[in-house]
Amino acid sequence: MEAAPVLELRGITKRFPGVLANDHVDFDLRRGEVHALLGENGAGKSTLMNILYGLYSADEGEIVVNGKPVTFSSPHDAIAQGIGMVHQHFMLIPVMSVTENIVLATEPTKAGVFLDYAGARKRVEEISERFGFAIAPDARIQDITVGQQQRVEILKALYRNADILILDEPTAVLTPQEATELFAILKDLVDEGMSIIFISHKLNEVLDIADRITVLRRGKMIDTIPREGATEAGLARSMVGREVLLRVDKKPASPGETLMEVEDVRVVDDRGLEAVRGISFHVRAGEIVGIAGVDGNGQTELIDALTGLRRPAGGRIVIEGHDLTNANADAHLEAGLGHIPEDRQRRGLVLEFSLAENLVLHDYDKEPYSRFGTLSPRRIFDRARKLLRDYDVRGGNPRTPAGALSGGNQQKVVVAREVSRNPRVLIAAQPTRGLDVGAIEFVHRQLVAERDAGRGVLLVSLELDEILSLSDRILVIYEGRIAGEYSPDVSEEELGIAMTGGGREEVAA
Amino acid sequence: MSSEPGGGGGDLQTPPTGEPLAADSTAYAPSVAERLEIYQRAGGIVTPVITAVFAFFMGGMVVLATGHNPWKVYQGIFTGSGLNWFFHVGHHSITVPFTSHHVWFPWNTSIQSNAAYNLQQTLILTTTLILTGLAVAFAFRCGLFNIGGQGQYLIGVITGIWIGTTFPHLARGPHILLAIAVASACGAAWAAIAGFLKATTGAHEVITTIMLNWIAYWIGSYLFGQGGPLQNSTNPSVPVSDSVVNSAKLPVFWGNAALQGLHIGFFIALGALVAFWFVLNRTTLGYEVRAVGFNPEAARYGGISVARNYIVAMAIAGGFAGLAGVLDMLGYQYRFGVLDVQTSQLGFIGIAVALLGRNKAVGVALSALLFASLLYGTSSRSIDQTVLKPELAGNLTLMIQALVLLFVGADVLIMALWQARRRVLPRRLKPSPPASETA
Amino acid sequence: MAVRAEPRPQWRGLTPRETGVLGILLGCFAFLLALPPISARAPWWPALAGLAAIGAGIWALTSGVRRIGWFAISAGILGTVLGVLATNTAASKLDYVVSWTPLFTAMFAFATPLTFAAIGGMFSERSGVVNIGLEGMMLTGAFFAVLGADKLGNWSLGLLCAVVAGGVAALIHAFVSIHLRADQIVSGTAINFLALGVTGYFFIQVYGDNGTPGSISQVPNVNIPGIDRIQFIGDVFGHLNLMIWLMFATLIVSYIVMFRTPLGLRIRSVGEHPRAADTVGISVYKTRYGAVILSGMLSALGGAYLSIGFLGSFNENMTAGRGFIGLAALIFGNWRPFGAFAAALLFGFSTALSFRLADPWPSPSVLFQALPYVLTLIAVVGVIGRSIPPAASGRPYRKQ
Repeated sequence: MEAAPVLELRGITKRFPGVLANDHVDFDLRRGEVHALLGENGAGKSTLMNILYGLYSADEGEIVVNGKPVTFSSPHDAIAQGIGMVHQHFMLIPVMSVTENIVLATEPTKAGVFLDYAGARKRVEEISERFGFAIAPDARIQDITVGQQQRVEILKALYRNADILILDEPTAVLTPQEATELFAILKDLVDEGMSIIFISHKLNEVLDIADRITVLRRGKMIDTIPREGATEAGLARSMVGREVLLRVDKKPASPGETLMEVEDVRVVDDRGLEAVRGISFHVRAGEIVGIAGVDGNGQTELIDALTGLRRPAGGRIVIEGHDLTNANADAHLEAGLGHIPEDRQRRGLVLEFSLAENLVLHDYDKEPYSRFGTLSPRRIFDRARKLLRDYDVRGGNPRTPAGALSGGNQQKVVVAREVSRNPRVLIAAQPTRGLDVGAIEFVHRQLVAERDAGRGVLLVSLELDEILSLSDRILVIYEGRIAGEYSPDVSEEELGIAMTGGGREEVAA
Repeated sequence: MSSEPGGGGGDLQTPPTGEPLAADSTAYAPSVAERLEIYQRAGGIVTPVITAVFAFFMGGMVVLATGHNPWKVYQGIFTGSGLNWFFHVGHHSITVPFTSHHVWFPWNTSIQSNAAYNLQQTLILTTTLILTGLAVAFAFRCGLFNIGGQGQYLIGVITGIWIGTTFPHLARGPHILLAIAVASACGAAWAAIAGFLKATTGAHEVITTIMLNWIAYWIGSYLFGQGGPLQNSTNPSVPVSDSVVNSAKLPVFWGNAALQGLHIGFFIALGALVAFWFVLNRTTLGYEVRAVGFNPEAARYGGISVARNYIVAMAIAGGFAGLAGVLDMLGYQYRFGVLDVQTSQLGFIGIAVALLGRNKAVGVALSALLFASLLYGTSSRSIDQTVLKPELAGNLTLMIQALVLLFVGADVLIMALWQARRRVLPRRLKPSPPASETA
Repeated sequence: MAVRAEPRPQWRGLTPRETGVLGILLGCFAFLLALPPISARAPWWPALAGLAAIGAGIWALTSGVRRIGWFAISAGILGTVLGVLATNTAASKLDYVVSWTPLFTAMFAFATPLTFAAIGGMFSERSGVVNIGLEGMMLTGAFFAVLGADKLGNWSLGLLCAVVAGGVAALIHAFVSIHLRADQIVSGTAINFLALGVTGYFFIQVYGDNGTPGSISQVPNVNIPGIDRIQFIGDVFGHLNLMIWLMFATLIVSYIVMFRTPLGLRIRSVGEHPRAADTVGISVYKTRYGAVILSGMLSALGGAYLSIGFLGSFNENMTAGRGFIGLAALIFGNWRPFGAFAAALLFGFSTALSFRLADPWPSPSVLFQALPYVLTLIAVVGVIGRSIPPAASGRPYRKQ
């Protein structure tokens, strides 16, 4: 294992406005190894790899390939150095064939001008056979499975003679069986002398596939350890860290009657795959139920279904006796649901609207804000002034466009709108994403106050701290299913393992 | 699912991480709201003014290059449009409506005044352009690009002629109201086809409205053409409709009715501007339309039906265009022919009117006046032949209109130039506060 | 392949697709039965054929071949209605309207500008830039072809001028919509008005009230020796304009370029998924510029055909919406060259027919001209299998 590194990243630093995405990260890759890059969402893994692939340029630091310092200004340069990347969102053209996608931009020709499709097809078949990929070269991308599409991406890199392969969250879109097959392929590739960077936030698979593991946390490199010395618990600790522990003062919960019932809900995502595969739970008055989980395990689709923005493929959703399974968003709002959405800029606010207009997004058509279809600006503004004062929104008056506020104040506007409607059940999806400490504290206090006022709160968050400090009951979501229920005194490690599919027999290969 | 370029707080500048795998045909064109956002942010009146100035400048260059004097040409157009009327202030009098009293008035309203006559003609065109502009603007505010103003206008014309030439025994008021109501409704229905198709099948409104334009064009050619159902009854060799009967003609309130005076449709257009503003800003319907236009996803989250608003917004837009058509028929044209169907452009000019006016009521009013002045100022009836041939001048209008559209599209360039001006002129130490900050 | 020998059926039957196509043909046949030279006078002949077409269509439809099935059903209904109508009209009128040779010659003449525009539009839209400025680019070509042919005295130089002018018009569209990321619809509309204004202005400036001179060098017709002896074919193809043959060549070449060369693959990839193309090192901007400029040049050739190929003169706004029919043909043909050509032929035929119909039935024949737009509307809406545009068309691309 003393092979010279084929690739070294030295002191890579990348700043985005207001964020230090990579802070002097060192990383090296040896020939014929799988080196995993482990970290939470937002830890800076993808940024680092986009720099390595020439999509971003680093503010500081250097890239050394086979001992020579190089600079990449476009993916073209990276490809020339033998680097291939399988993006998390595949760079494939759905309506084209496998062969066309693979040879694109390096097409073999006949007579100098014509596309030599037969020749291309033959080479694709050769490579595909050598590594045991069962891929039909003439199939259209849109007709093959996600797992096969990923193999096409790998073939793309192999076709271009890559010897370094970057895989960005490759299992995020795969079924467990497909993941197992992928791992077998990766082992073959390594045996052929390839070096692989494997980006993931799933502990079990990292332990399964990697030779060495580097942990990133908030843009900083925490540690690089060989697999032999790694444990799930240890990795979970360095990945999650325990820096800011936000403790919220709260009395013990006194749950009342059941307000929301979810029975065996199944939801299909935009690609037609089942993202939520039968989830059941309930939320009672006066409690906060936290749903913990790593991004992309069906949270988004679940929330969409619970709020009427996406029709579930099966199951039942009942709020206070009203069956809302197939109802639209308006009916959910009428039934007493409040919803702090995951993405306040895309969904929660109309950024071009004034704060006053945003604050009546659910109620513009109800008295007293409108009468006979005519808006009452004075009442809308009075309410806005009151809410902005009560919820301490700074940086704007009722006429300010929402887009002009800071993220924290935008979120306060959303919270103010949802909470002031006195919902029976409040769904908060990643309510503190991207907020500063003050705003986070504000949101947390509001959620607890809602609970104490006898409402049912469902908190969906990627932040473990948040889940642990707020929830009265914790559900862990993994691959579209509830992987377990825990009380809030569970340890972070235990929760972290459950979130990353650990402790589950069928996943470990 | 999310990319992570900016760590936890980077959601403001998250770059798009590739399109979804499924080809979504709804995203056939870039979101109109995206563009709209730029117009609204660009700071009040600055961009439209620079846009217009640029377009006139480039048009002037063409005039100069072909051996004419651009300054004189623009002067001629200005005079031709009758806008100089406002500069001849003197002691005149005006009759108080419904009385025989004369009161002092600074401008000469006499029928003999040439400038007054020209201004009447310009305002007649302004009437139409306000309405066709609103047809584009209203749809735009819902995130829809209504290229179909021309077709909707033609449908208004056709129904206007139909109602206006039949029912000769109706009293004046009911006849006019009936014609206006039916024509607007038909324009609305015609446009709503595109809205309905967008809402139900996702067919892009640009394609469908273009097709509907040409279908309306050929329907018009058929109806007014030789042997067509709406062709005149007296002269079968001329493909023109009958004249609207007197009971359906709009009253003229300024100028000589026999010489195309300004009809009361002008006030209807002004009323439409107010209605446009009121509906958008003071009604729940307008709230929904704007929410859908800015951010359909947030609108859906807020409990608003996006599909319904697409249909309603297109219908209202078509109603404006249909109204424009019927007012033209009842107000001053009185009849329409195949040649008119083929040469009419007023619906298309509405696109430039709306975009230059930034899809707001006041902006639409001003840019409608601008384009109407250009149109009439360059027409053969008004421009001084010795300055520029009217045929040339008419084409100059088209060029300026095209340049306006190009520069509206190239707003990035206009804004960059505006920013550069600030750097070039260092004397202005304090930059003026951005418009968005003012309450 | 198959080791086990399956007993092969002697008659495997028609696939649903083939049945559907047969239905379409039957539908056409229903109408043809009533027309010269067959001229069946009994209404039940076309009705019978039409019913068979509808039956075939329904069967294809229920077997899952939606687009062709619907086409067959519509062809059956239309064929029946038109056929029965035709049996009820005077034979002399029919003989006048349906004289196949002039109809086909006119069809090619009308379809040529549409095909040029549609192929041009295909390149632009396949690269991801919506081009509703085809009409304007066509008009530009029409004018500058006349100007070049007149001032330089030679039709070939006229064509060159047209191509250059169309390319420049397209370059403006390309710059505004690619580099400045303007709304491509706004930009295309602007190009249409700009072309109208510029060609009108210079037309008046250069030629004044007299119009273009009658002595302009025109693109010649190609007389194929000996072909006259073949009936019908000789009449239709014997004396076609050179530009029509150029159109056929363009059609074939553009098909090969788009689907048989690396360049075409790259153009399509940029229009479908620009970021994917970018990550393998294809320049999205360069590809789009090239494709848009090419679209302008081809549309200009279509315009040039109108002015110095067909008419020998120019007048203001002479394209009169043909660019939009070209766009319609492109959409109706599902963004494919031969599909667009077939649509252009259909639209050209309907125009030719409406001209022939104009004598006996002047008024309703006008409505025929709306057919291309109605059909395109139906195609976009997707009742008969939706036309699907390139995924990224209309979306400006921003490099990361």
